[in-house]
Amino acid sequence: MLRVEHISKSFGPTTALRDVNLHLRKGEVLGLLGDNGSGKSTLIKIICGFQKQDSGQMFLHGEPYEPKSVDDARAQGIDTVYQDLALVDELSVYHNMFLRRERVHVPVPLLNNALMRRETRKALDDIGINIPRLDVPVARLSGGQRQAIAVARTVSGEANILLLDEPLAAMGAKEGGMILEVIQRLKEEGEVSVMMILHNYAHVFATCDRVNLLQDGVIALDKQITETSVEELNEIVVEEYRRARQAAIAEDTAARAAAATASQ
Amino acid sequence: MAVASGSEVPAQSPPAGPASTSRALGGRALKLVRGFLTLREGSIIVVAIVTTVYFSANATNFATLSNFKTLLPYFAPLAILGAGEVFVMINGEIDLSIGAVYLLSPFVFYKLNQAGIPLVPAVVLSLFVSMAVGAINGFFIAVVGISSFVTTLGMLFTLDGLTLIISHTAPVPTPGTSALHVNSFAQVFGGGTYSELIWALVIVVVLQAVLTFTRWGVYTVAVGGNRLGAAEAGIRVRLVLIRNFVLCATCAGLVGILEAVRAVTATPDPSGSNEILFQGIASAVIGGTLLRGGSGTVVGALIGALFLGVLHDGLIIKGVSANYLDLYLGLAILIAMSVNVYVQRVRTGSGLG
Repeated sequence: MLRVEHISKSFGPTTALRDVNLHLRKGEVLGLLGDNGSGKSTLIKIICGFQKQDSGQMFLHGEPYEPKSVDDARAQGIDTVYQDLALVDELSVYHNMFLRRERVHVPVPLLNNALMRRETRKALDDIGINIPRLDVPVARLSGGQRQAIAVARTVSGEANILLLDEPLAAMGAKEGGMILEVIQRLKEEGEVSVMMILHNYAHVFATCDRVNLLQDGVIALDKQITETSVEELNEIVVEEYRRARQAAIAEDTAARAAAATASQ
Repeated sequence: MAVASGSEVPAQSPPAGPASTSRALGGRALKLVRGFLTLREGSIIVVAIVTTVYFSANATNFATLSNFKTLLPYFAPLAILGAGEVFVMINGEIDLSIGAVYLLSPFVFYKLNQAGIPLVPAVVLSLFVSMAVGAINGFFIAVVGISSFVTTLGMLFTLDGLTLIISHTAPVPTPGTSALHVNSFAQVFGGGTYSELIWALVIVVVLQAVLTFTRWGVYTVAVGGNRLGAAEAGIRVRLVLIRNFVLCATCAGLVGILEAVRAVTATPDPSGSNEILFQGIASAVIGGTLLRGGSGTVVGALIGALFLGVLHDGLIIKGVSANYLDLYLGLAILIAMSVNVYVQRVRTGSGLG
């Protein structure tokens, strides 16, 4: 459905993505794992049209996919829950819910607040998150409620590819469970594909069909969830730390040696 | 943005019986009062009313129609300037060039009219020039990435200088006006007694509606409240910024022409326009618009301007010497804003600490 080929992206001297290849099948839930700073969020932001890759191509339904903007990506059926949630504290729950997708009256394009409030209530009920008042600014809500709004906003849209960047980070067990249930339900309906960044392996194994592990700017592992285990994933991450530490020690030793040579 | 406090819970059906009806009425009145105080402008309204009552009781001839007419040209222009500035300030930016646009636009109007363009088209073209200034401000801020403070400060000096050059530092008679007779053009564009008031009220109502009931308003708040988030949601942040600077400059250009028509002459006096600038911004800030962005109302700017007008006028009627006027005005603003903050804390129930 979605294919990403040889994507690279640098920010100044920092290389975030070196050569990323991945694909997302229809109706599949793909878990994207990786260390902090491994470039997961950058990859999501490239796919959703917020940033542009330095090189590489993407294909959607077999056609070249070059989103010009977030709007453009959304028009092509790709929508995102960002790590920072992209909520505006000062706006009401329903204005946030419909940010950039506002419902307006015709012919005079005034906001149809009643309709937005109603649809927001329905979308939140579908997920099972209770937010008593929809006209309060989201600044007054808890972290979990805010995250629920961000997820509900994306899930209730028209998109058939959902990108979720740590959708459960600020949630308690109960709310998180509800979100996972929603994703499970979407999976059963089979119309929507989901790519999800997660840190909690329990969540990964509960929800995902397949996992990709992003390491050093490339996909270091691509396995069906049934073919891997928490142990294997852990081992890879631990191995990565071990290597990083050895590299640091080697560098340190080299620097000391150089300093010693210089002082003689 | 003033959000009506509608509850999601369906209203309870009114209870039967006369005894409970009166209680329900009392409850509704209490709800109304609470609803009023949760308005963002609630506290400044209280402060403005207190100020008005004070002067009505202590200054003879304050609460009269003729004095109200004296007050109008002082507060109506500030209300319009403040209304435009509110949009920029909700974006988290500031426009310091409104005074300079206000200064320039009557001279553009004069030159265009001298070139043979009829009055009303000349006004419209002058407003287009103001819009262009706003667009240039917006370009430097949103595209080049210079801070709005610096950009509009540069624009302030540029336009002040430009006005001095094209006017040869000499006042000119405002086209379409005469000191002896207020014709229909002048009646509409600032010369009529209530002309500026009507402009101010219409502009405030329209812009408040834009802020509360349109996408433009939602995006303005979004860009000011969370710029990155707004961009991630797909809002074209640059467009929103430029649009609001254009709106702000247009308001300033209009006020410049209205005031020049009212005064019958246009005077190239940058110090006067700088004072207008600060009063315009003060109106917005006093009206509850935050300098850090994300929050503010146009109606608040109107009330802020009214407060400044009442204060200025009241002090004059009380016979305060001209030398002391600014001092008292400044102190009164500080006191009034302190009271404003106090009332705000009471109404949001966040304690007085």
